[in-house]
Amino acid sequence: MFNLRVFSLLVSAVGLSTLMACGETQDSPSASVSPSASSTAMSSGMNHSATGKKQININGAILSELDKLEAKLAVPGLSNKIQASRPYGKTDELVSKKVITQAQFDQVKDMVTIEDIQLTGEAKDVDYMTKLGLMKGHMLVAKELLDLKKPDQAEPHIGHPVEEIYADVEGQLNERKVKEFKTSLIALQDLVKAGAKDTAKVDTEFKISVQSVEGAIANLPDTQRKDPKFVLQVINGLLDTANSEYGAAIADGKISQAIEYQDSRGFVAYANDLYKGITPAMQKDSPDAHKAITSAMADLTKAWPAPIPPAAPVKTTDAVSKLIKDIEMNTQKSINPS
Amino acid sequence: MSKSVEPEKLASSRRQILKWGLLAGVGGAGTLAAFSQLEKIKLRSSVTVLPSTHTGAISGQASTPLTMLRDFDYGTVTQEKGRTVREFRVEAQTSTIKLDNAHTFITWNLNGRVPGPTFRATEGDRIRVIFYNRAGHSHSLHFHGVHPAEMDGVKPIRNGKIMIYEFDAEPFGVQLYHCHVAPVTRHIGKGLYGMFIIDPKDLRPPADEMMLIMAGYDVNDDKKNELYAFNGLPHYYMHHPIAIQQNQLIRLYVLNMIEFDAAVTFHLHANMFKVNRAGRSPQPSEETDVITMGTAERHILEFSYRYPGKYMFHPHQDAIAEAGCMGLFDVVESTKT
Repeated sequence: MFNLRVFSLLVSAVGLSTLMACGETQDSPSASVSPSASSTAMSSGMNHSATGKKQININGAILSELDKLEAKLAVPGLSNKIQASRPYGKTDELVSKKVITQAQFDQVKDMVTIEDIQLTGEAKDVDYMTKLGLMKGHMLVAKELLDLKKPDQAEPHIGHPVEEIYADVEGQLNERKVKEFKTSLIALQDLVKAGAKDTAKVDTEFKISVQSVEGAIANLPDTQRKDPKFVLQVINGLLDTANSEYGAAIADGKISQAIEYQDSRGFVAYANDLYKGITPAMQKDSPDAHKAITSAMADLTKAWPAPIPPAAPVKTTDAVSKLIKDIEMNTQKSINPS
Repeated sequence: MSKSVEPEKLASSRRQILKWGLLAGVGGAGTLAAFSQLEKIKLRSSVTVLPSTHTGAISGQASTPLTMLRDFDYGTVTQEKGRTVREFRVEAQTSTIKLDNAHTFITWNLNGRVPGPTFRATEGDRIRVIFYNRAGHSHSLHFHGVHPAEMDGVKPIRNGKIMIYEFDAEPFGVQLYHCHVAPVTRHIGKGLYGMFIIDPKDLRPPADEMMLIMAGYDVNDDKKNELYAFNGLPHYYMHHPIAIQQNQLIRLYVLNMIEFDAAVTFHLHANMFKVNRAGRSPQPSEETDVITMGTAERHILEFSYRYPGKYMFHPHQDAIAEAGCMGLFDVVESTKT
């Protein structure tokens, strides 16, 4: 797919009138990079800029970090534009992907990187809380399924926090001196895998695991966990994942993968919980956005009427995507009023 | 229909020969002049790649097992600090494929295709894979081959996140990549895998080269496969035989990516093939017509057909073959091409 030039050469060389179905050769030309581009990631040593200044990873930074670039260049909406044109293989793809001009790039090129950087400040906390929020969403839906006596269906949702998330947050847990809880998650998964026969024991171990996740969340200061600007970013992370999962549940107009339906149900449920916590502040500070968000959230939640999926989806994937986009747009208004 | 390629004129890599062969077959004869400036390799004999008499197109899908068969992705090539860097961009997505009349299956895939792109490089190249996860679950790309721990692709990359894997292509041979998030059976079974071919610096002799990956589909999440396939679609090459030329050297890069079944064989009808285990030798070392392959095991198999006609290939676990993992070579007489 990446040899578009060679491919066109071939096409012209043999004078083809009809093109084969060869989708993999047709990549966006904007993805190509100039051969003279400076190397950024050749050394695996992850050396950072010699300036010693904290750089912004354009592939990973959250909007509030990208706003530093937006402010520096005074381009309204730049942060969203940078996010929308991801991924970047090199920093100068900001120019080749027409996100900013060469002249603008020259002004900010020392501020940006594509190398992995240690997250700090708010970005780090949002990242941490989102990961734990995803765990919490899994546990919420797992509990519902256990209560319905469906341990086989609950099992993947108890597994996901360990399999998909724990390794990604382990470093931060250690750093924040949160007691490890992988062991209790695995112990619980073992019980549920074996059929969750001893319900009292499952109940006890489930509580231990949920308390561990909640304890890890509570490691963040209370003020931050009640700050709408902070919480809305976490909610967006949860809803974005719920959106993809809901799409991965439906085939031929039917919910054919209960696991992904349930994943998304759990994430939306926790997003709703989180929003409740910031409702008073939202009512006070952003009444319009609050109105729009609560109405869209209520409508969105209808897509998951029960833990066991309905025969036909209540909402199409497009309808779910649209509601989530609406919510994100409205949260941006209160995160970043301009 | 097809046209033999004169090696001295065609200073080109095999990929371009193959593409040219395919295109020439579809569009008629053409000029070779355009290739003269391309990479130089010595070809001692000509290679003929036969076009298929059908496109095998599937509505709504850009790639079919026929287009994937010889679609080697060499990446976007740049020179950095005097080294060849091959950059590959892949996006984890979810999409549905119709496995048969009764089964529409939700895949987790790279760039909308199962298997993912066949990455190809030469030993010593720098590989850079820009992986963007847009598939809901956490995923990762774990490459086989030699690389540092931080590039081993075991760490899950969350939905919406980007990971750039970068390492040297070594050692030469047939490698693979797959998602390593647990349960790996489900992540591989839903389609997050592909082949990664590292050519030795001294290129192998010219041949009609193809990639075949055996895979299983657990369509009802019962941790058993109900359907099987070569290159993603059950029974596809039975309905769309792979045309090859009589007496032509065929080089198959074969990978077993079937989860849940411990091992399968690969069997070729009416012929023997030479085996180059994991592609780790310059030359094949043994000859047989059935070879056992555990999950993730892969080899280069070489053969040519003496007699024209249609010949099956399939695992000799015949239930697995009959559940979709079988195909046909259509050997076309040399004088007719």
